[in-house]
Amino acid sequence: MESAATKNPGPATKARRTMSDTWYSILLIAPAMVIILFFALVPLFYAIDVSFRQADLTMGGIQGFVGLRNYREVLHEAYFWQSVRTTVVFTFFAIVIEMGLGIFVAFLIHGATVGKGLIRSLVILPLATAPAVTGLFWRYLYDTQFGLYNYFLSVLGLPWQPNWLGDIKLGLWSVIIFDVWLWMPFVALIALAGLQSLPKEPFEAAELDGASSFRVLRTLTFPMLTPVLMLVFILRTIDCLRLYDSVATLTRGGPGSVTETLTYYLYRQGLVFFRMDYASTMALLFMYAVILASGYALRPLLARLAMRAGQR
Amino acid sequence: MLQQRGSTPIEILRYAIIAVILTVSLFPIAWLITTSFKPADDIMVSPPRFVFKPTLDNYVYALQKANFAHFIENTLYVAVVSTVIVIVLSSLASYSFARYNPGGGNILFFILTTKMFPAIAVVLPYFLIFKEIGDTAVGKAIGIGLDRQGALIVSYTMFNLPFAIWLMVSFFQDIPRELEDSARLDGYNRLQVLWRVVLPLAAPGIAVTAIFCLLFSWNEFLFAYILTRDAARTITVGVESFFTLRGILWGPVAAAATISVAPMLVFVLILQRYMVRGLTFGAVRG
Repeated sequence: MESAATKNPGPATKARRTMSDTWYSILLIAPAMVIILFFALVPLFYAIDVSFRQADLTMGGIQGFVGLRNYREVLHEAYFWQSVRTTVVFTFFAIVIEMGLGIFVAFLIHGATVGKGLIRSLVILPLATAPAVTGLFWRYLYDTQFGLYNYFLSVLGLPWQPNWLGDIKLGLWSVIIFDVWLWMPFVALIALAGLQSLPKEPFEAAELDGASSFRVLRTLTFPMLTPVLMLVFILRTIDCLRLYDSVATLTRGGPGSVTETLTYYLYRQGLVFFRMDYASTMALLFMYAVILASGYALRPLLARLAMRAGQR
Repeated sequence: MLQQRGSTPIEILRYAIIAVILTVSLFPIAWLITTSFKPADDIMVSPPRFVFKPTLDNYVYALQKANFAHFIENTLYVAVVSTVIVIVLSSLASYSFARYNPGGGNILFFILTTKMFPAIAVVLPYFLIFKEIGDTAVGKAIGIGLDRQGALIVSYTMFNLPFAIWLMVSFFQDIPRELEDSARLDGYNRLQVLWRVVLPLAAPGIAVTAIFCLLFSWNEFLFAYILTRDAARTITVGVESFFTLRGILWGPVAAAATISVAPMLVFVLILQRYMVRGLTFGAVRG
């Protein structure tokens, strides 16, 4: 990457004031970086510090160093592993359904000839609502006595009257369904935008060659959509792993603890039991795991970005 | 491709499936709004009633019991101020990442990792920091501290910045460099190029990002729940505490929820055209 200023002499009047590209680029990111560094690193260092101490806020607050004790205890805690399992199961199913359904809906809308704009506006509406608020209202929708969902099931003639929020087999699925309702539109919206911005020429050429629709999908559409879908996939996965709002208002971790995701368990450890040491330790373990996984997943994306920034 | 020359049966099937999906998507929202206008007798009944005499009782009750106007005012103020700050900072940063890629991708990745620390773990240190700052003269003067709007503005700025930077990088990458080069040749300096050439071209992308930031801030729950008590309480927390106090009164709860959700529904309905256009313009081509 050559400095633009040295390459072309530019307007003579300003020549004395030129700055190297490197300094200019650093200057531009500086204000944002100062804020990010400060407000991200302070909690991080705080958590690292506390994770090596005894910190029970009900018994004397933050105290002396205990080495790796918290890490040992957290890793031997059955509830911790159960919450990890719940989080992974939730994320897996929520992501598979959201991505699958979202992409399907994007194709449906993309191909629609009439009322495309209207359909699009309506489909994304759940996105506009606050999960904490709609989560509360879904308790009413899931209600076994007055809820709409069981009413619809009976109207459809199904004998099945599930206890959505009370049955330990269904609890997690109730949260998954809610999450899909809320976030499928996000996947659909971005996939739709991706479809609309695909260049026309390769598809016209494929049509001239008489390629089948399936072949076009497999060899053209999906490969070209991959970067977008990858980005959505990563953003959604991080969000699912961090799921908090909807669990907090919809199920509060129940029934029993079947919907207790890692972040909700963290909340209980930190703000209900006031075990800041355990909470910090778990938060750090969580972060390391996500960074490792996403660093791996993001590598191609970052490489492409660097390539585009470098090209001239 | 799927959209070409659909025969009639396929088109009918397509619209049938779309109708089902729209119904499933919209029913919870429609039911929320309907419930908010129902008389108490028509809410806790089985089977659910679809025909009823609309009433404003639930709204009257909700507005008497909690100061929702105050919550809305707080939310709007916090959301708008933090969005403005985020947009200013992230446009500069994203432009830099798109053109010069300082740090060769590492800084950009670091920015994303700040989103991976669970919010719940961030909020506890924030609580302590804001408690400390709040007691100082500076904190009082600039309105940062527990139960002050500044604390939420700072928090929302912090968690929207990484997202905004990531979303905007590709918008800026889509602006042809030749335009900038020729503007430089015309005698513009760097800041003029940025201000007069680049930013206007990136406007759709900036608008989309602003819409999302505003939406996220409006709907945020956890930070507002932990960092505010009364003076700076926002609407989502207002609804939650209203529910906690009066759990089974679904009518007033639905009215409160509608008050919280309706502004963003209208906002998104009006602006969705730009959201899609903006996304098409940038983010998507990665």
